[in-house]
Amino acid sequence: MSAQSDTIVDIQGLNKWFGALHVLKDVDLTVACGSRVVVCGPSGSGKSTLIRCINGLESYQQGALRLAGTTLGLNARETASARRQTGMVFQSFNLFPHLTVLSNCTLALRRVAGRSRGEAQDIAMAHLEKVRIPEKAMSYPGQLSGGQQQRVAIARALCLNPRIMLFDEPTSALDPEMIKEVLDVMVALARDGMTMVCVTHEMGFAREVADQVVFMDGGCILDRAPARDFFGSAGHPRSRLFLDTILKH
Amino acid sequence: MGFDLAFALSSVPTILGAVGTTLCVALVSCIGAAAIGFFFEMVRRAGGIAGLTVGFVIDFIRSTPVLAWLYFLYFVLPFYGIRLGSMTVGVMGLSLYYSGYLAEVFKAGIDAIPKGQSEAARALSLSRRDAVIHVIAPQMLRNIAAPLGNYFVSILKATPYLAVLAVPEMLGRAFDIASETYRYTEPLVVAGLIFLALALVISHGVKRLERRLLAVGAR
Repeated sequence: MSAQSDTIVDIQGLNKWFGALHVLKDVDLTVACGSRVVVCGPSGSGKSTLIRCINGLESYQQGALRLAGTTLGLNARETASARRQTGMVFQSFNLFPHLTVLSNCTLALRRVAGRSRGEAQDIAMAHLEKVRIPEKAMSYPGQLSGGQQQRVAIARALCLNPRIMLFDEPTSALDPEMIKEVLDVMVALARDGMTMVCVTHEMGFAREVADQVVFMDGGCILDRAPARDFFGSAGHPRSRLFLDTILKH
Repeated sequence: MGFDLAFALSSVPTILGAVGTTLCVALVSCIGAAAIGFFFEMVRRAGGIAGLTVGFVIDFIRSTPVLAWLYFLYFVLPFYGIRLGSMTVGVMGLSLYYSGYLAEVFKAGIDAIPKGQSEAARALSLSRRDAVIHVIAPQMLRNIAAPLGNYFVSILKATPYLAVLAVPEMLGRAFDIASETYRYTEPLVVAGLIFLALALVISHGVKRLERRLLAVGAR
């Protein structure tokens, strides 16, 4: 079975347990290069676990997950090299608090990509410009607002030039007035053609950039549809209920 | 029994003469305890039979009196042909004893780092080694600076135990003066004040260090 070259993530019959808890049940999902997939669903539905499986932060017990042509979890070295194709943005930013914004961005460039200090700084600054925060390069994360920190986290993830960006509820820990600045960066990234998988409750963002919306509940993918169909009248009753609930306020 | 200030002052130079020994023993023991403690914690963290064994050793050390360790090393080991100088035994005893406590300090220092930090390091494809050197260790140091300083003061205050091995540290020296002159108050007060001064200087230094570490990227 060979993955098509324009498929970057290919998940077949994925099952995962945390102890006795069955958190992912027969999940199938393919992500084509250049596409934007939004994963939504109530909390505890397994969406964060799913996205964490895609870059191998979580292991799985059954099924297969191919990332950039490599089946994850068979071989530690191959898994690590496939992971290099991904960039991840976390709900809680997870910037390194003891390093400046610039050093946060250059650390992997220097230690993983083997770039010189000068090269690393040039690349990092270019990405900090892209997320519109170059003036904070010498600041420490603790001196930044949540929105600024998350934009730095996006820049840091972009530095290794990933083929796919994974966002795990990137705006859930932000105050409402900071959500927009982060979403704007993500929309710009989507416009640039970046492949993205994004776990989010921001349905406005989903409507604007998603090619495909996936609805999860209880560890299963219940509904998957192009954005306009998902937000239209069609779709699974459970996802209709979910949409009604979160769009009401 | 009054307090003879002139006699107290006359005992100061003799007692101060031992301050070097006391500080030296405390410093070397603290470094030894930190090294052994860090090793213990790394082995315990790795788990398995070695980890369980080390965990038991740490608990055992922490549940026994430090004096028992000193007596054991000094009086029991020679029966097995291991003969060590009193200074060596003193430093070994304090290092071993406090390593159990410092292992706990390292554990707390690492546990306090949010899980997201090592996840971010993995997501960025940093090797385990790079993650420890560049992400975990610097944050651990910040977390342990204060308790490490406190333990340094504790070790300093435990150096008088070495009197039982005839190591010439401060309190022992003060007690020698006392036994020779039958005047206990002055030498003991002087020794106590010097300990107090050392402890104050060290805790102040640790506080400043901690403030500087925390100032870097305060969350």
